[in-house]
Amino acid sequence: MKLDPVFIWTAFVQLLSAIPTTLAITVVSVFCGFIIGTITALSRLYRIPVLSQISTGYVTFIRGTPMLTHLLLIYFGLPMLVDGLSAQLGLGWNSAKIPMIAFAFISFSITAGAYMSEVVRSGLLAVDRGQIEAAWAVGMTTPQALRRIVFPQALAASLPNLSNSLIGMLHGSTLAFTVSVVDLNAKAQIVASTNWKFFEAYLAVALIFWGLTVLIERITGAIERRINLFRRGGVA
Amino acid sequence: MIELKGIRKSFGKNEVLRGIDLTVKKGEVVAILGPSGSGKTTLLRCINYLEKPGEGSIRIGGFSLDYKRAGKKDIHALRQHSAMVFQQYNLFAHKTALENVIEGLIVVKKMNKDEARKRGVELLEKVGLGAKLDAYPSQLSGGQQQRVGIARALALEPDVILFDEPTSALDPELVGEVLSVIRKIAKEGITMIIVTHEMGFASDVANHVVFMDGGVIVEEGTPSELFGNPKEERTKQFLKRITPELIYTI
Repeated sequence: MKLDPVFIWTAFVQLLSAIPTTLAITVVSVFCGFIIGTITALSRLYRIPVLSQISTGYVTFIRGTPMLTHLLLIYFGLPMLVDGLSAQLGLGWNSAKIPMIAFAFISFSITAGAYMSEVVRSGLLAVDRGQIEAAWAVGMTTPQALRRIVFPQALAASLPNLSNSLIGMLHGSTLAFTVSVVDLNAKAQIVASTNWKFFEAYLAVALIFWGLTVLIERITGAIERRINLFRRGGVA
Repeated sequence: MIELKGIRKSFGKNEVLRGIDLTVKKGEVVAILGPSGSGKTTLLRCINYLEKPGEGSIRIGGFSLDYKRAGKKDIHALRQHSAMVFQQYNLFAHKTALENVIEGLIVVKKMNKDEARKRGVELLEKVGLGAKLDAYPSQLSGGQQQRVGIARALALEPDVILFDEPTSALDPELVGEVLSVIRKIAKEGITMIIVTHEMGFASDVANHVVFMDGGVIVEEGTPSELFGNPKEERTKQFLKRITPELIYTI
């Protein structure tokens, strides 16, 4: 077998059609994960009864089990739940109607949420307590203080880790092929097996992932520079 | 007028305030002195509920509150009556000097932006920072940051401004500029409570000096009474150790 450089290009072009699927899984799971992560991090930091225990349990269980396992648990568990509920309440739902990609959205959001909970928590911890005290002292309520003073600074502090999570989820989204979602990697496999040129196809997909990752790095880098303007100190 | 009654506060088993009664008249400048751990900063922080006293009550600008029964709304209302200048400045790090000063006006007092801006510029000019409106705290020296902190407190027009060791974190060279700003606003008749270690400044600016030790007020009076003729043995000891030269200058 010889390397076929032309086929790398052919595969590359064919793979482009799968980029939206991969990006959709990544963006949805990171977005939902960020919301879950923020809620769980806040309830743990502020020791909200019940919610904080649930959050701690959620984070340790999810971080303690592989992402692929989450996907399989959701894939087999969710239909049981939906059909069971439907039968009990007479809703007429049918789990077969759930699109495959929804399983990926749900399970990866759950995965991302647990990791991002720690990212958000570290960002919130990076904000000095004096900041919220000063906000209280000028008469703000706690929600006002969090929204206007603590969150923007926490976000700035956690940006490098958030971009890490985003990249992690981009690469993790390849697991979606196990529930028959045709993401970039799955598409590469299809392209490869119809032509029997596996190395070329996977090389092409690697280049695409690398390109997307560089893009994410650039974008978050630019946001970071913009958002961290305030930290560029002139005088000590 | 501010009236504190029977303030008690413990951190675990350590009782840091053991029943404090203090009355501050309108326009008075009160200096609270005392050794480290005497509870002076904790007392100051109780006035705007940054610490929750176990017992006691406060009356400030026509608003009264029993600390034991304070709910969220009461705490919020209490904080509208005071402003605080912190030892570590605590300027909002992601906001410019001007934004720091007007943040409370816009968010809490719901003032419109142009009006707030105008007021903010005035105040920053007053503390000598008219040229630094758009500087972030990280671009300012400690003394400049603390002056922004003072402008931020002034903006709220509170019944009292609380100063928590406003110069303790500063380079000795920068202490003067902050003290002269405080001196300037003291002359305008704004009620202030200042926790400080600057004895000379306290005797010069304050018209009511409080000496605390071990969580109680040991002695209080005018500066000439307290510095010139202290009655309690503990006060004499403290003053002798801190400022031997002061005894002679007064």
